[in-house]
Amino acid sequence: MNTKYYVQAAVIAAVYAALTMLLAPFSYGFMQIRVSEALTILPFFTPAAIPGLFIGCLVSNLLSPYGLLDVICGSAATLLAALLSYKLRGTPWLVPLPPVIANGVIIGLMLHYGYGVPVNLFAIMGWIALGELIACYLIGYPLLRYLQKHKRIFQ
Amino acid sequence: MIRDITLGQYYPGESWIHKLDPRTKIIGTFVFLVALFLVKDFWGFLVAVAGLALVIGISRVPLNFILKGLKPVFLIILFTFVINMFMTKGETLVGWGFLVITREGLYNAFFMGVRLVLLIIGSSLLTLTTKPIKLTDGIENLLGPLKKIGVPAHELAMMMTIALRFIPTLLEETDKIMKAQMARGADFESGNLLKRAKSLVPLLIPLFISAFRIAQDLAMAMEARCYNGGENRTRMNAMRYSRRDLLAAGAMILFVVLIVMERNLI
Repeated sequence: MNTKYYVQAAVIAAVYAALTMLLAPFSYGFMQIRVSEALTILPFFTPAAIPGLFIGCLVSNLLSPYGLLDVICGSAATLLAALLSYKLRGTPWLVPLPPVIANGVIIGLMLHYGYGVPVNLFAIMGWIALGELIACYLIGYPLLRYLQKHKRIFQ
Repeated sequence: MIRDITLGQYYPGESWIHKLDPRTKIIGTFVFLVALFLVKDFWGFLVAVAGLALVIGISRVPLNFILKGLKPVFLIILFTFVINMFMTKGETLVGWGFLVITREGLYNAFFMGVRLVLLIIGSSLLTLTTKPIKLTDGIENLLGPLKKIGVPAHELAMMMTIALRFIPTLLEETDKIMKAQMARGADFESGNLLKRAKSLVPLLIPLFISAFRIAQDLAMAMEARCYNGGENRTRMNAMRYSRRDLLAAGAMILFVVLIVMERNLI
């Protein structure tokens, strides 16, 4: 058992959850710009970020008022996105793309069918994806560039 | 800023619901959520509301505390309600140019609104009456059977526990870094979206460095104590089903039967 891998993942989860809570008013719901989503670029640096982001999202949604549906769908979207980001780590500018798409599609479906938000499905998806796009490309991508200079902290 | 944050929404108590096994509560919440999607008319909702009211009553969580938790979701509920009211076609009740309220629209809006509120209250009741750590233990236990197909249940629960433990530490750390950077002239509050987004980067980098330092120390401490995963570990507080859980299971079955009967018979 690789203890360090799991502990790193757990700490990434804690950072994600802490940031989500600190910036809470914008983090949940369908007008969300969740700044912590900028962390979805971490699979570029370490595979421990895959379970880390998944658990971070799980924990922050468990502590949120949105209910179980969001816990399940949100975490599933994040896990899927983190896996894809890890696969795409060869081309840095594509790394922040999977969370935009995965969250847009999955959370869009959830809000439309699960919560019954009666807006055109593609409009909701686009709206969620827009929020993600801001978090992932405006914060996430610069973060990736800066962290590249400090790669050794992930060793 | 940091003082305003409470971790999770747990409402401490000694009620019957608080004392239920976390596994029972998790399964119960799932059952309730699924049952809500089976409901399709007024009487079904009445059953669901009565069931939920009963559980809230037993849990002794004050109603206004629960409603306060709904505040952040209020906007979605309102939005859903209004859009449903105006967008559904049917028999006109009130008309005002292109804004038309129909009988069907009003019905739909009410229906969806109530379901959304029940959905959210129903699942927050789980986190209101269960400590996050117990919830984690419950999840680990329920995922246990999936270990055979390769779901790392123990590792997931362990990571969740560590994450929960370090959230307050990292919140404090974030606050410290923010203040330190502000003392050096960093500006987190002004400028347009792009500028504000970029201003977060000098916050995130030190936060990562400090987080990974924590990980390093913790991993070393765990390895030094020969931690090796879930195999043969014992627990300080083992979970045990009691008579209470049996009763709760009975109530759940009754609830589902009522919902299904209402759906098919009336």
